[in-house]
Amino acid sequence: MADLTTTPATLPRRAFSGRLVPAGSIAGLCIVAVVAGPYFLDSYTVNILVRSFLYAATALTVDILWGYAGILTFGQAAFFGIGAYAAGITFTYMDFSPQTAVLALLAGLAVSAVVAWITGWISFFHRASPLYVAIVTLALPIILVQVLYSGGTFTGSSSGLVGYNTFDLSVEAWFTICGIGLVVLTTAAWFFVNSDFGRLLIAIRENEQRCTYLGINAPRVKILLMVVMAMIASVAGYAYAGYTVVVAPEIGSFVFGTELVMWVALGGRGTLIGPVLGTIAIDVISAYLSGNLPYVWKLIIGSIFVLVIVALPQGIVPVLKTGLRRLWSAATRRDAAPCVAVPALIEAPEGRRAGTGSDAPALNVADLACSYGSLKVLEGVAFKALGSELLGIIGPNGAGKTTLMRCLSDGYERTGGTVAVFGHAIARTPPQGVVGLGIGRSFQTTSLFETLTVAESLRLARYRLDGTRMLSHAPTLALPDSARRVITATGLDRQLAIECRHLSHGMKRALELAMVLALEPSVLLLDEPTAGLTKPERTLIGSILVDLVQREGLCTLIIEHDLDFVREISTRIIVLHQGKVLLDGSVAEVVGSELVRTIYAGGAHQELAP
Amino acid sequence: MTALVLDIVTTAAILFAVASGLLIILGVLKIVNFAHGGFLTIGGYSGLVVTQLGLNAWLAYPAAVVAGIVMGAVVERFVIRPLYDRPLDAILATWGLGIIIGQLITIVFGREIQFVQTPITGATSVFGETYSLYRLFLILAAAAVAGGIAALLNATRLGLEARAVIMNEPLARGLGINSGHVRFVTFCIGAGLASLAGALITPLSSVDPNMGVPWLVNAFMLVLVSSVSLASLAIAALTLGGAQVLVSTFISPVIGGLTIVVLAALLLRIRPAGFGHG
Repeated sequence: MADLTTTPATLPRRAFSGRLVPAGSIAGLCIVAVVAGPYFLDSYTVNILVRSFLYAATALTVDILWGYAGILTFGQAAFFGIGAYAAGITFTYMDFSPQTAVLALLAGLAVSAVVAWITGWISFFHRASPLYVAIVTLALPIILVQVLYSGGTFTGSSSGLVGYNTFDLSVEAWFTICGIGLVVLTTAAWFFVNSDFGRLLIAIRENEQRCTYLGINAPRVKILLMVVMAMIASVAGYAYAGYTVVVAPEIGSFVFGTELVMWVALGGRGTLIGPVLGTIAIDVISAYLSGNLPYVWKLIIGSIFVLVIVALPQGIVPVLKTGLRRLWSAATRRDAAPCVAVPALIEAPEGRRAGTGSDAPALNVADLACSYGSLKVLEGVAFKALGSELLGIIGPNGAGKTTLMRCLSDGYERTGGTVAVFGHAIARTPPQGVVGLGIGRSFQTTSLFETLTVAESLRLARYRLDGTRMLSHAPTLALPDSARRVITATGLDRQLAIECRHLSHGMKRALELAMVLALEPSVLLLDEPTAGLTKPERTLIGSILVDLVQREGLCTLIIEHDLDFVREISTRIIVLHQGKVLLDGSVAEVVGSELVRTIYAGGAHQELAP
Repeated sequence: MTALVLDIVTTAAILFAVASGLLIILGVLKIVNFAHGGFLTIGGYSGLVVTQLGLNAWLAYPAAVVAGIVMGAVVERFVIRPLYDRPLDAILATWGLGIIIGQLITIVFGREIQFVQTPITGATSVFGETYSLYRLFLILAAAAVAGGIAALLNATRLGLEARAVIMNEPLARGLGINSGHVRFVTFCIGAGLASLAGALITPLSSVDPNMGVPWLVNAFMLVLVSSVSLASLAIAALTLGGAQVLVSTFISPVIGGLTIVVLAALLLRIRPAGFGHG
């Protein structure tokens, strides 16, 4: 299999350091700018910019949550407020000292982390609607402000806390510290969102359901992300309280939460630099204009916001960027598109399949039922499947075949009965847990991640086993032998850098299969893996499957409409009809059965035909 | 005891009237209209204009409905229509609209709190308890709103088409229903209802340019737990509104203000269909 590693392993590293240099130099320039800034700007602007930097850092967290992970949040204001009040309360009641400064910071971080964890736990669960998190994070700042109001003199109620002792720093020093902090944060965020983990976030945003069937615990990833972003917002709030020597309920309010979202949308969600620049620009202009034209200025901002959402949903910075890139390519006659790093394929270590060495049947289904209201889709389905069996599941449309797959791969689907994988009942386990038990499922309709490349999609499927890098790209991609065989046989190995949406239908089906195999399942559930494929492609996939079952002892369930295909590859066939197992027997038995012929040919109605 | 029960019923009636416009827009357009608070404010200020012109206080309600419908028509055409396929963006754009409406009102009427005249004043005795006549009138008003929407949905061609769009929009379009028209009319009616609700609630307190925001949040929560059904909305308004009254009376008004938000969020976590079926 040495021919598989056609891409030299040094290439991605070179590509990565190729990104490191421009990113580093831009960050360096920005740091020079914030160090030199106080010498060139008037003191009013410097004063305003410190605040803008802190808002921008908070907007950055909104962008990572919303722009990259797809979590529309109004709650970052609450975490900003928690950090600020931690400082305000500590400095008011315990006075300022290096010890209390550290204590306040830690308290803000801890409270934010706990609140964010609770918020995330409430918001993200299996099958939660994407709107739900917006509701919960909308409630969060409202609750915080009411808590601050009811705190009476302790929290200063509606007027907040003012005039406590704080850091003995000049405005210029604050400017440099906050400026450098913002540059470092933005740079780190840039590496983070462009890493393998950043791709994972985008995958969750695009198709969370598919992620869970790849064994990715999407709710947990989102909760962790929310906790980290809350802690960053809390540090920004802490600095705000230290700098302005004022904390008032407004900074933790729902209105501030929506303002953050507006700044991110105006700058350009999912661009990092857009929200940062957008926030700074709007906040500075606001400071200058709101004195003279307070209401008109808010009216203008509101109008621009509506206009941008309607006409430029990607925000202003991406539009500028596209323009600049065009100018750049026109001027240099070079394509400025970034080169995509391709990881080298290597062999994954063997022996991590669940259930190897177990005596229990690979799959034991007993009395399985699934109904929607009074409609019974499956009833009393029972069968066992062993390793090395390739079980064909056939039946007319509406027989419940896909529902069966669903009930086997998601513990929440069935309404009755039990499913056990190597003796472990799947109980009420969400799909990502079922994958951990050894079940891998492919989908009837191709369900891929449109903007992810082939290599990135395969890496997603390896996340459960191999983990991922938070700030960079791994130079290699380990795949089990079976997945690599599918990839090489179909020529996908030469298309690793292609985005999935550009693949042909056959390639997509092959990638879907390769992704499931990359999970190293012990039980493979395939829902019409060859639908819409040509005869040669179908034969190829069939032979790979047969080989897999024979060589690796995989238990495979396959739904197919093409009886000839099923007959060729199956070792056993189950016929489903109207939600019940009609027949369960060898290929010869089923194919020779009069009953099956009747169902498929509609023979029961023959006497009615003229 | 009687006062408490009346408080619960009138609060529920107010919440129902405020949330109904949001509900029908969500049902037909599948869009959460965050400009709802702005439309409420427009209704409140329609009442103020009627007061300032020295007209009959009852005229506030038709004036509010007309103002809401006109605003709704403009907003639907220029903002909502391009966002049909982007429901999350529609939340943001309508929130921006709410800000625009608030600022325009601030520029025209000033930011201070103002008062409008009440068409019904005084109190009456209910089971030996003296109670505000206007709050009792709100029960009637909410019932009229409910009856009006139900009649519109069940007895008119537009209602039939709207129900078809709610159930299965692609199929309704395939059957020759002009869903764009249905959306437009629904949005106008929703905006008119919001504005009417604004005019109904202002005699209880006062008007200011941001009066809609707290109502918006509660209405939004109520609509989400009632999964696009008027009956469920009535139940939600009665239970959650009742809880709000109880908490405000016996524990603290501050916590009472949070009751609907917190209970609705928890209810949706436990039972995503809320008070609806399913």
